[in-house]
Amino acid sequence: MESMKQNLVDIVGAANVIDSPEVLASYSKDESFATPMKPWFVVKVENAEQVQKLVRWANETKTTLVPVSSGAPHFKGDTVPSVPQSVIVDLSGMKKIISINRQQRMCIIEPGVTYGQLQEALAKEGMTLSTCLRPRANKSVLTSVLEVEPRLNCLHQFNYTEPVRCTEVTFGDGNQIFTGEAGNGPKDLQKQWELGKWQVHSNGPAATDMLRMVLQAQGSMGIVTWASMKCELLPTIKKMYLAPANKSTDLEDFVYKAIWARIGDKLYVMNKAYLASLMGETAEEIAELKKVMPNWVAAFGLSADILLPELKVSAQEHDIMEYAKQTGVQLLPRVPGASGEAVLEKSINPSGDTYWKQTAKGSFQDIFFITTLDRTSKFIEAMYELAIEAGYPTEDIGVYIQPQHMGTSVHLEFNLPYDPNNAKEAKKVKDLYAVASREMSKLGGYYARPYDIWANIQLNKDAQSYIMLQKMKDIFDPNNIMNTGKLTIK
Amino acid sequence: MAFSREIYKALEDIVGKDNISENISVCETYRSIPAQTSAHYGPSEHWTPLPQAVVMPGSTEEVQNIIKVCNKYGIEFKASTTFYSTMGYIGSDFALQLDMRRMKSIKIDAKNMCAIVEPFAIGATVQAEAMKLGLNLNIPGVGCSASTLANFSSWVAFGPNSISMGQGSENILGLEWVLPNGDVIRTGSLGSGDGWFCGEGPGPSQRGLLRGIFGTAGSSGVCTKMAVRLHPWPGPADFPTYGMAPAYKADWGPNFKCYTLCYPDWKSWARSVQYFHESDVAYTGHRQFNMFGRDLKGAMIEIISNPDGQLADLEELLEDEYIKEQTEKMKLDYQIVIVGFSEKDMEYKEKAVDYILEQTGGWKSEMMLDKDKHDYALLYMTRLGHKNLNYVFCGSYEGIFGLSSNVWKTIEVVEDAAALKRKWEQDYNHIAATGGDSSMGSLSGIGGGGATGWEFFANFDAYDKESIRGVYKLSDETQKFHNKYAFGPDFCRWNSDLRRMDGYNFTQEEHNEFYKDSAQPWVFAYQYKIREAINPNNLCGSYFRTLDPKCLEN
Repeated sequence: MESMKQNLVDIVGAANVIDSPEVLASYSKDESFATPMKPWFVVKVENAEQVQKLVRWANETKTTLVPVSSGAPHFKGDTVPSVPQSVIVDLSGMKKIISINRQQRMCIIEPGVTYGQLQEALAKEGMTLSTCLRPRANKSVLTSVLEVEPRLNCLHQFNYTEPVRCTEVTFGDGNQIFTGEAGNGPKDLQKQWELGKWQVHSNGPAATDMLRMVLQAQGSMGIVTWASMKCELLPTIKKMYLAPANKSTDLEDFVYKAIWARIGDKLYVMNKAYLASLMGETAEEIAELKKVMPNWVAAFGLSADILLPELKVSAQEHDIMEYAKQTGVQLLPRVPGASGEAVLEKSINPSGDTYWKQTAKGSFQDIFFITTLDRTSKFIEAMYELAIEAGYPTEDIGVYIQPQHMGTSVHLEFNLPYDPNNAKEAKKVKDLYAVASREMSKLGGYYARPYDIWANIQLNKDAQSYIMLQKMKDIFDPNNIMNTGKLTIK
Repeated sequence: MAFSREIYKALEDIVGKDNISENISVCETYRSIPAQTSAHYGPSEHWTPLPQAVVMPGSTEEVQNIIKVCNKYGIEFKASTTFYSTMGYIGSDFALQLDMRRMKSIKIDAKNMCAIVEPFAIGATVQAEAMKLGLNLNIPGVGCSASTLANFSSWVAFGPNSISMGQGSENILGLEWVLPNGDVIRTGSLGSGDGWFCGEGPGPSQRGLLRGIFGTAGSSGVCTKMAVRLHPWPGPADFPTYGMAPAYKADWGPNFKCYTLCYPDWKSWARSVQYFHESDVAYTGHRQFNMFGRDLKGAMIEIISNPDGQLADLEELLEDEYIKEQTEKMKLDYQIVIVGFSEKDMEYKEKAVDYILEQTGGWKSEMMLDKDKHDYALLYMTRLGHKNLNYVFCGSYEGIFGLSSNVWKTIEVVEDAAALKRKWEQDYNHIAATGGDSSMGSLSGIGGGGATGWEFFANFDAYDKESIRGVYKLSDETQKFHNKYAFGPDFCRWNSDLRRMDGYNFTQEEHNEFYKDSAQPWVFAYQYKIREAINPNNLCGSYFRTLDPKCLEN
């Protein structure tokens, strides 16, 4: 073990190899129900060269590496080692914003860059990055986009992979390439910029889309050390309307219409438990909000930037009100318990020190998958039935529907808050999570990001995809050293 | 080498007697002049090899069984649909051509805005069906007569409306694909039977093995079904047109406008393009009619928008003072289509266009505001059904330069590129003299703007060897130009490392030589490993850039 440690020290320096019991214990588990497993070491890396040396060392020693870029707490089980004697590769110290280019609307960032840090820097250049819903304060932007956390604006999600474009990746076999168009030039960003190339095109570099090899991979294929991302212009006008409804299905026609008409820059649907959780600062406040909020709310945001902003917003406002009327929906500046403006601010800004989903009861378990909007109601009904059977209060179940990829599918998320200090309640949620995850899959829910127990469920449904996944793993990580045990059938 | 009776019988048993042929007169029609670009007639004096038989499968199962036979007997195979490109043709003497025309179904999920298409569903048909339901699709630059599935899966598929709809890769949802080893994969949600709505995952996306910045051009098996994302169409369901062939026109009311926007200099031109990239104003954006050349486009527009127009009218029209003036005014131009989803939306978009012109010192071409021209251009840009016009000058054309990059980089060199071509036009008679600048292309090759590419049409005579050789020599010069300014392969050479000039496949050794010294050779070494995994008998030709990883061992 000492010689192993010395190897790591040789790569990253003594100060960056940690094996104190407290630190190892903190990486041995997360807030999910994933089985805890203590890592061997935690190694803090500072650059891509160290990452590559580390991966090569891991191949020589057949040691599992678990990349982690966001700060704790984690919630999906993907950062918890699945095999003994794993090494955590902590990339959170790589916090450099490598470039921001207003002309190309591109930025390039390292894995440790958080949403708050990036948005502040982009705002100075008149830009912003599309975001997932109220990310954790210490959430890695790069992890968030590689794991395809749903964006609030599906209409600019031309590619499923938006907003990430090119990356630098060290695959599990120790070889390092740039993906996307960046893979066609010199392996040196500075040289590419001098040639007028700004890492804009995500596909490729050739007939293989290398970005997709590391996408949704939970760090099981390689380690990404920078990513370029497409930015949006910073809005000069922002507005958000809320459409209340009794049932989720009451909002479907409106959402489909807004997607079809390409209006707006934010669109999502939440039930009152989810919205209250998003808006409430304390457990009590959340409970109060749930009492007054409508059962369901569609949040619809409009924005404009530099091109005749007032005229654009006025035209879109006029049209969306008309579409709302046609689909039997009322678009309001506020609903009981929340204004559109406040919902928008909460949605796009990072969470406080306590992650907002923990506020209600201290912990939570999410179940999310992809489906289409017209199928969501059957999943919601099934979820409520399962909760009743399990004795879990249905009024606590948060539901979030986020259209994605220009509206061709939706991310459907169930949020189950619970008190982690109440063993009985935690057990109830753990069991419900297991049962409901299976049931959602049976009903046609697609776990594109198969975390934790979903890997078994999803991959068992599709043998051919699993075979292909194993072939991909053999190509890019032949010694199976990258986050071993994830994305496998157990 | 002819197929044995055993092989022929095995194939015949799969597709039936009526769907297989080894008749020489049939097989001869499945040959093409090798072109190194995607969809052009290349400057070549050879033809692709003669296939030993042609089969027309009618289902995924038949395709799978055919591929199993190919693996058993070591037969190269290639599938094609509309046969618009050399990429779809076989590249060796012991090879089978798959003609996919029997598989042509289209199913549309209007709510979730996607169409599930088979190989022979061409752009025009998918579009027509989609429009009935208020939807439209990205029709790539190759035109509406080509296969949607083949374009999206196997080549690049960007086109005039990619700025608002994205390019092929961005529009792919679930895929069904028969791999060269005979396995059938169904990507994403399709694989687990959950529907066509997502083509990614579970986990890393296997579709990434099959489709990168371009597709594998038939070298990774046969895509048999695909869900493609559709986009809104607020126009009429039946696509009404008027006028006489071939100069059909369309008037879909005040919410559909096609403008030719013109600028005083390239910097203003680029700034205006950037405005369109940064906004959602343009439904369609393309530099289209400049393909006829800077000097000729005004006169050519006059000819093609007139049903009685003849190429013979060109000389007279070039002397017309009004056309001369208008042609000069649209020297630096492009076409856009704006579409209003409502009166208010259209009002905003009209004003946004005016604002962009005001900010950049641009103007709308007066000639193209004429109703006849406007309605002709609107239909042209929306359907892309006039690809025959690409060939009109000399019977054939090749794309040179390409200038694939962002607009700010290309504007620095575009005039030099035009001058190089102009010099060739003046010094030799290999290509049509159209005015140097004949660059054309999409306002954006990807959704939302960013990447562009500008090919210059070099019109040549495919029946004149001097003309053929001249274009090839010209492309030597344009490739040098590209090297000088780091634009990568010239458009005319995009595939020059994928099929030999004599129409045959390259060997692995030749590919190793091409890629071992490339800037990032592991890109090609990984592709070698991918091919080994899904195409162990290497049966689909050499349109997949591979480098034996052994070449990288020190």
